[in-house]
Amino acid sequence: MKSEITRRRFLGTAATVGAGAVALPAAASQKIHPPGWRGTERVDKVPTTCEMCFWRCGIVASVANGKVVRVAGHPEHPQNQGRLCARGNAGTGLLYDPDRLKTPLLRTGKRGEGAFKAVSWDEALDYLAAKLIALRKEHGPESVGFFPHGSGARFFATLMKAYGTPNSVEPSFAQCRGPREVGYSLTFGQGLGSPEPVDLEEAQLVVLIGSHLGENVFTSQITAFATGLARGAKLIAVDPRFSTAASKADWWLPIRPGTDIALLLAWMNVLITEGLYDREYIGTYAMGFEQLAQHVRQFTPEWAAPITDIPAATIRETARAMGAAKPAVAVHPGRHVTWYGDDTQRARAMAILTALLGSWGRKGGLFLPTRIERGSFDLPEFPEPKRGRADGAGTRFPLAPEEMGVTNGLIDATISGDPYPIKAWIVYGQNVLESIPQRGRTLEAIGKLDLMVVVDVMPVEQVNYADLVLPEATYLERYDPPNIVESAKKPFIAVRSPVIEPLYDSKPGWWIARELAKRLDLLAYFPWETPEQHLETILAPTGTNGNELRNCGVVAFPGKPYLEDRPPAERSFDTASGKIELFSQELADLGADPLPRYTPPAEPPDGFLRLIYGRAPVHSFARSQNNEALHALMPENEVWLHTSAARAAGVADGERIVLENGDGARSNPVRARVTEGIRDDCAYLVHGFGQRSKAMRRAFGRGASDNGLMSRVSVDPLTGGTGMRVNFVRPVKA
Amino acid sequence: MARYAMVTDLRKCVACKACTVACSAEWDVPAELARTHVRTTPLAGVFPNLKSGPCVSQCNHCDHPPCVEPCPTGATYQDADGIVRVDGDVCIGCGFCVDVCPYEARFINPRTKKVDKCDFCRPRIERGEEPACVATCTAHAKYFGDLEDRNGEVHRLVFHEGARRMETETIAVGPNVYYLGQPEQLDLVLASFPPRPPLLLTAGEAWKKLVRPLVIGVVGATLVGQAAAFFTQLHKGEGDFDE
Repeated sequence: MKSEITRRRFLGTAATVGAGAVALPAAASQKIHPPGWRGTERVDKVPTTCEMCFWRCGIVASVANGKVVRVAGHPEHPQNQGRLCARGNAGTGLLYDPDRLKTPLLRTGKRGEGAFKAVSWDEALDYLAAKLIALRKEHGPESVGFFPHGSGARFFATLMKAYGTPNSVEPSFAQCRGPREVGYSLTFGQGLGSPEPVDLEEAQLVVLIGSHLGENVFTSQITAFATGLARGAKLIAVDPRFSTAASKADWWLPIRPGTDIALLLAWMNVLITEGLYDREYIGTYAMGFEQLAQHVRQFTPEWAAPITDIPAATIRETARAMGAAKPAVAVHPGRHVTWYGDDTQRARAMAILTALLGSWGRKGGLFLPTRIERGSFDLPEFPEPKRGRADGAGTRFPLAPEEMGVTNGLIDATISGDPYPIKAWIVYGQNVLESIPQRGRTLEAIGKLDLMVVVDVMPVEQVNYADLVLPEATYLERYDPPNIVESAKKPFIAVRSPVIEPLYDSKPGWWIARELAKRLDLLAYFPWETPEQHLETILAPTGTNGNELRNCGVVAFPGKPYLEDRPPAERSFDTASGKIELFSQELADLGADPLPRYTPPAEPPDGFLRLIYGRAPVHSFARSQNNEALHALMPENEVWLHTSAARAAGVADGERIVLENGDGARSNPVRARVTEGIRDDCAYLVHGFGQRSKAMRRAFGRGASDNGLMSRVSVDPLTGGTGMRVNFVRPVKA
Repeated sequence: MARYAMVTDLRKCVACKACTVACSAEWDVPAELARTHVRTTPLAGVFPNLKSGPCVSQCNHCDHPPCVEPCPTGATYQDADGIVRVDGDVCIGCGFCVDVCPYEARFINPRTKKVDKCDFCRPRIERGEEPACVATCTAHAKYFGDLEDRNGEVHRLVFHEGARRMETETIAVGPNVYYLGQPEQLDLVLASFPPRPPLLLTAGEAWKKLVRPLVIGVVGATLVGQAAAFFTQLHKGEGDFDE
């Protein structure tokens, strides 16, 4: 594959990067200048990849005298084209956060107390290796559970496989986009991946169903969204809340939460009965149309109106708008979609709608990934675990893929000891107490463990429950595997390499994993000495190399984003039938609905509101609230209540209240935002607030944790995904 | 001579605040104060017929900047290309200009104790770069350039696409930050965040006569003190500057 983008040296000054394993730019001087120092000395511009969220935009860090003075967007990066969101621009706030974990810590007090003693890396790793060897001997390697997230996790994933445990579980599946990947995969033979390939800039009509673009910010997606709208794309925003996207929409459909499938079925009904679907596309690429047509005949807009609270005329009008704009209709598949427990079916309904509009693989719809070959390592065979997965992936949850696992399944197993005891957790780059609902169960599971290890950058609450804490270097101080993105119009490979040496006694993940491998006699699975060698092996078949990548930051390749770019023989679908499966025999064989069906969610009891939640543009998950600049812009969240709901509860705008759920869980005091911009049956919180660790000095105690109020879940039987919008809260006096 | 201006397309802006953080990081300003702000208009209407929209504000580099005249030390001045600037060496942080700005674009930076505000990223534009807020804007909603460059994007947006100034009948000082949007959207923004009457300006003449001599006296004394401190520092060297 030939790279298309000019491989010019990135601003020249970065040439010193990668001259040796630890030869870093400007690393010679230890002089530290005050923040914002802008002298006349040399400033190195070092390209790398952001990790303030998982979108991984290209960035350029300015380094003066060993200090990162600025992080900005990489102008030649095909994804973000020089642009960068608020969080990316605040990257130095993470790097220089005084509350960072600074040395390895060994617990001295009770779990949860946060009493630790600092230990050396040798002590910490020897301790951990001894524990892991003992656990393997006494309980088998399967007794160790691994909770990874983020780009550095792959080194630990290799280590865990080599150690012999199959129990690796990521919340990015069962608490996020798992049902989406499965639903689209059942339909089109492949999932969407990340970044999701939505052709917003070419769309004539954008359909957002619960996606709050604008508040949910991924730089390139916002660029494409805004560009599309500026070019005249129409926008349908389906959201119980008047979101930023809703404020820009031609149609805002404030749907009754949990009824999306009814709306989707009614849209399909109109498209089919009025002949507005893409006949030729369906005829060429799809199977099961007759069954679908038969199935949706009963689901008229008049049927859906009382269910969804959207007038039949509006449903018809919006369906016709889709029919008129097809195939350039971008039905955004969403991202975090574990909502009601029927989420795989909901994703199926969205995929089928996309197919009816002929939008998959078409300009303005969803575009197709282009494969990039990558090098692999000549590793010894991984040991075959004697016992299968404990989390139910592939068994209890038949469509959960083994490479992702089911977090809540592993938590269940840890509590029950069924199918076998889980004795240790190693948590890398994720926050099990804020990202996984039913926090009480997570804590109960932690209480059963002989060993809890957290590898993290910040002292978030879960750290207090760890026996051993390993402080990782931030993304600006470490190598990670290169960011290889195939789901882009121009697929690319981007580098993650250190901009400065790790501060304090923090270490990069690759180093921690490899040092552990040494102690576990598993070094054969790490057949490289330096991360540069690791990078070189991966890049070998790509036509670029480590030096070029470190200098340019990114190398892009021509893509084939649309079906029309590919010869007819390559326009097939990786499903059993080789076609788009509107009707899913695979689901029928599992005893599930082969065509999506609406099932009503439980309604809030009297006096209670459904808790819904989302993102703010200046925060990522629960991990940016301690960042100086981001904290300054949004130190805490507020709870949105409709005027009438607030009046009924006697709550005034701006008043501090507590949210309480039916199971007795209570939030921190949180300010009420009384507004017309939300349905009167919902309460809305931005996720990630209410930090309980005092060591996070800025974030501690600020705002309310939505996750803390999720004592119930509705589990998707197909994927194990935890439906999280099934919790009801009421405002009470603080 | 150039006449610099900025255009923000509020149809594209999603209020993500990337501009605020980029600006604060570029110029070492606390983000909560910031040289550029993103606000959202209060909701207008009743569920489900609602309207609201974002507004990005900053120094407008007005044709008739009300902030220049009241400055007792001459720290605030306007360049020939229209950029209104603050000379930090001369500013005493009295805050008169803060009160007088119709766009609330000025503030005292607690890190420098001086008045701070947007200068269209003068050092960046001199290097041929875009202002930090324009360069980072995720929605590509901001444009910067020379109004007089007839081939430029900003000229086109202002003179051919109808980008609008946020002015009222009573407060019209010729702001050079323009906005694109649906007319009703821009009306809503203007109604929500109208320029503030520069009260001091009307009382300004009398006020200045009274206060200015006093201020200049204080400044004079301060300058003597600063000069003394400067020479002391020069003598000591900069060794203790590093942390």
